[in-house]
Parts: sequence; C-alpha cells; structure tokens
Amino acid sequence: MHRYLRFPAMLACFLMAVTCHAATDQPLTTEDALGPQIQQPIEFPHYRHAGNRNPVDPTNSDPTKGGMEINCQYCHTYARRSLTAGIPPLQKCIGCHQNIPTVRDKPRIVELFKYWDAKKAIPWKKVHDLPDFVRFNHERHIKRFIEQQGRPVQEVCGYCHGQVKEMTTARRQKPITMGWCRSCHMKDHVVVVANKDGIPEGGTPLGKQDYWYTFQKPAEKRNAAGELTAKGPNDCWLCHK
Amino acid sequence: MSVTNLLDNWAEVRHFHPIDDKPHDPYKWAMSIDLDACIGCNACAVACYAENNLPVVGREKFQHGQVMHWMRIERYWNEDDREFPDQGAEFLPMMCQQCEAAPCETVCPVGATNHTQDGLNSQIYNRCIGSRYCSANCPYKVRYFNWYDYPTTDNVWPAEMNYQLNPDVTVRGKGVMEKCTFCVQRLRAAEVTAKGEGRIVREGEVQTACQQSCPTNAISFGNLVDPESRVYKQWKAQQVDLAKDEQEKDKQEGGSDLRGYRILEDLRTYPSVMYLERVRESAV
Repeated sequence: MHRYLRFPAMLACFLMAVTCHAATDQPLTTEDALGPQIQQPIEFPHYRHAGNRNPVDPTNSDPTKGGMEINCQYCHTYARRSLTAGIPPLQKCIGCHQNIPTVRDKPRIVELFKYWDAKKAIPWKKVHDLPDFVRFNHERHIKRFIEQQGRPVQEVCGYCHGQVKEMTTARRQKPITMGWCRSCHMKDHVVVVANKDGIPEGGTPLGKQDYWYTFQKPAEKRNAAGELTAKGPNDCWLCHK
Repeated sequence: MSVTNLLDNWAEVRHFHPIDDKPHDPYKWAMSIDLDACIGCNACAVACYAENNLPVVGREKFQHGQVMHWMRIERYWNEDDREFPDQGAEFLPMMCQQCEAAPCETVCPVGATNHTQDGLNSQIYNRCIGSRYCSANCPYKVRYFNWYDYPTTDNVWPAEMNYQLNPDVTVRGKGVMEKCTFCVQRLRAAEVTAKGEGRIVREGEVQTACQQSCPTNAISFGNLVDPESRVYKQWKAQQVDLAKDEQEKDKQEGGSDLRGYRILEDLRTYPSVMYLERVRESAV
C-alpha cells in the first residue's frame, strides 16, 4: 500500500470500528462469561427448592414433579439488609429437612445430615466471586426493585444471577464485569411518576426530588415518547473504596 | 457504550464545583475543625490508621517521606517572645480537603480521582496507575503513594493486628495513590440505609473516625446542605461560603474578627474543610 494511503486507511478502519462498536448496546453474554463449573460439596438442587411448580399441573405440590417456589430471600436472607446475599447456615437446611422424612434417605440429604451430626459447616464455594476491591450492594437493588417497584423476586435476582431456579448448584450466567454493570446504570430508565406508594421511581424519592445521586435531573432529559428518564448512580466510590 | 455516552459521561465526570443548575443535593459532606480546641493529641491520626487500614511504616521509612498518615497533625511554633517557647506550639490537623475544584482531579491521566455527587474527591485504587501527578499537583500535600506492597514486604501489621483490619476498606497494593476519604465507607453505609428508608442521612448519624475519637470535639463533620447540621451552622456563623474563593468578610477593611477560614482558599480549590483559627493570648 502506498505510504500516503496508509493513514486514511487506518482512519477509515478506526471509524468503522467505532461505528460498529456504538451499535452494540450491551456486552454480549457469551459462553466464556459463564465462568467455571464449580464443584460444591453437595450438589444443591436449586431447581427443586426455587423452581416452578409442576408446569402441567400447577396445583400439584409434589416436589418430585416440580419445584417448591421458595423465595430466594428465605435462604439468602442477608440480601435485603446487607451488602452480601449470604449463604444460609446449616441450621436453616436442617430446620426444614428434619421435618421432611420422605427425602431423608436420598444421598444428598444423607450427606447433609453427616455435616449436621459432625457439627461442621458445609464448605460451600463462592460462585459469584467479585474482586476484593468491589463491594456490590445487594440491599440497594432489592430495596429498589422488589420493595419499591414490587417486581417478582426471582426476576430481580435473575438480572444478575440468571435462571438459578433451573440449576442445581449455581453457575455464573452473566459476565459480572464493571462494563456489564454499567451497561444497565448508563441506560435512560423511564421515571414512572409514582409507584404503588406514590413514590417516583427513577432515582430516589426524597420530597419533590425525583433524582438522587445522579447528575441528571430527569426533567432535563426526555426520551422520544416525551417521558422523563434518569440514569442509575454513576459514582465509582459506590463500589470501589 | 457509544460515542455519545462516552462524551456525555466525560462531561459529567469533569463537572467541577457546584453551580446554579447542579447544586449539591441532598448531600455535601464537609468538616470544620476548631484549632482552639485541638490539643495535638494525635488521637484522630491513630483512629484513621485503625479505620482505614493504614500501614505503620516505621521510623526509617518515615524519614524517607514514605509515611502513610492520611491525617497528620502539623505543628507550628508561635513563640511571641514567650518566657517558655514551648508554650507556643500550635497544631493543625491536615487531611485531604476534598476540594470542590480539586487540582488533583484534572491532572489524573486515567480518571482515577473524580468528584462524587455528594462533594467528595474520590480515589479509585484499582484504576490508579501510580503516575503521582495528582500528588504533585496537590497544594496541601495530602496524597500518599504506596512504594511497597504492604504487608508482604514489611510487617506493618504485626501478629494479631491483622485481625483489626477494616473489611470495608481495601488494603492498597503497591503503586497506587491514596488519601483521606472522609471515611467514605461509613458515609455510603449511612446513605444506603437512609435511602432505603426514603429519607436523607440525619445529623449525627454518621461520624468520621477522626471526629469520633477527638477528645475535645474539635472536629465536626456533616452535611453542609442540611440547615440542621452542626457543620452548616458553623460555616454560616463564620460566614464562610463554599463556592467563594474570597469570603465577603475578608474583603472589608481590617479583616474580620470571625475565626473561620479555609487553607489556601485563594488558589480556588474550594476546599470542604473549614478551620477555626486559634484564639491567641495576644488577642484576648
């Protein structure tokens, strides 16, 4: 290639790359993003506990024919009041299972009671292991999506954790990278004027203020349909500190 | 990520001290330090070491200027022809002034130090590449660089002291800059709790470690937007305005009798810490 053509060619390539990049709205979830399949001490069946009830006959609560639809927050109880969702203590498992004699002789339950009799905690391994300099806050997201907006629990947890109710031991389903988090926080979310409690949705509800923590007042930004929009928090120090 | 987003975000990140269209709301964290109450006991500095996982570097590294005290007590001598010059010791606790137009922010090549919406000057360790440009540009010299990978290279937290490390604060690695954060881990915890309850953080709900440990209550800290806060009242009483580089009271002839001032205010850094000048014997 002629020397004088080299720069314009490079420029064209760069512009094309930028244009293509701008077209993708959100980082793709690829197979690589799933992370390793982690061997847990007990292959905990999430699908049995949190899964939907028998799809053919929803009134059938027979656990062998479907899930129990247990709320994620029954076991991961710290999610709504702290940074971490937490792993339930062994007592919580036993609390139910000592009253379920029908599955007592199943191999996984036998294993479970071995830990209980030995008075040892189950050494669960971490699946969604963020770097030490990241402090994701579960509480805030639960408060916003479940308590304020009344969305279904499994849907909300699924934004980041995928369809756990169809898994045995959980596996990472989303990239859980900073860019991926930001892809949601950067979007212009429509500010619903009021939710069930009369609280505006798009930032946080303090008096008349319908934004909080964000630079953009919703009043300054409207989407094509003329609705108010606001972005999620844009502050490094929320997670990194 | 699109080009539009990139440009939008850049403009936001580089938004400097508050102006009419974007005032601090609902938070602006600020401090005021009464130098007349300060007895130079260093409790605040010690509390800061404990709260923020600061390495205790020892005498030799201290002499090399590699000390990591985010909060330091500066000592000045005001002898005034005293019989005993030692009586003239004056103390000034010095930490990051969380400037509204911070000189450090504009020079960071990677945007590791930014301004937050609640008026703090953030320092993101995992983003920092250690150019030390921010420290060079800081007029207060309150930024500290990690020359060593503590604690692997040096026993900065001897046995059992490692158990007192604060899990809410990153233990910084080699090659990053660090500085006072106004105990951001406490602020964020309080803000999140308040937000969940649909209110703002109340006065007295959150304290910085230095404020908490000060035996003479020389340090007060709070939300400058909240008219009920002690900090707001103090700033108001001293007629110190956050968004001014020269206060009205100082323009009048002969100066002002009020004690409030901010350090190197005329550099237009708009610092968030107000000091209350020591009452001198000669003035009484």
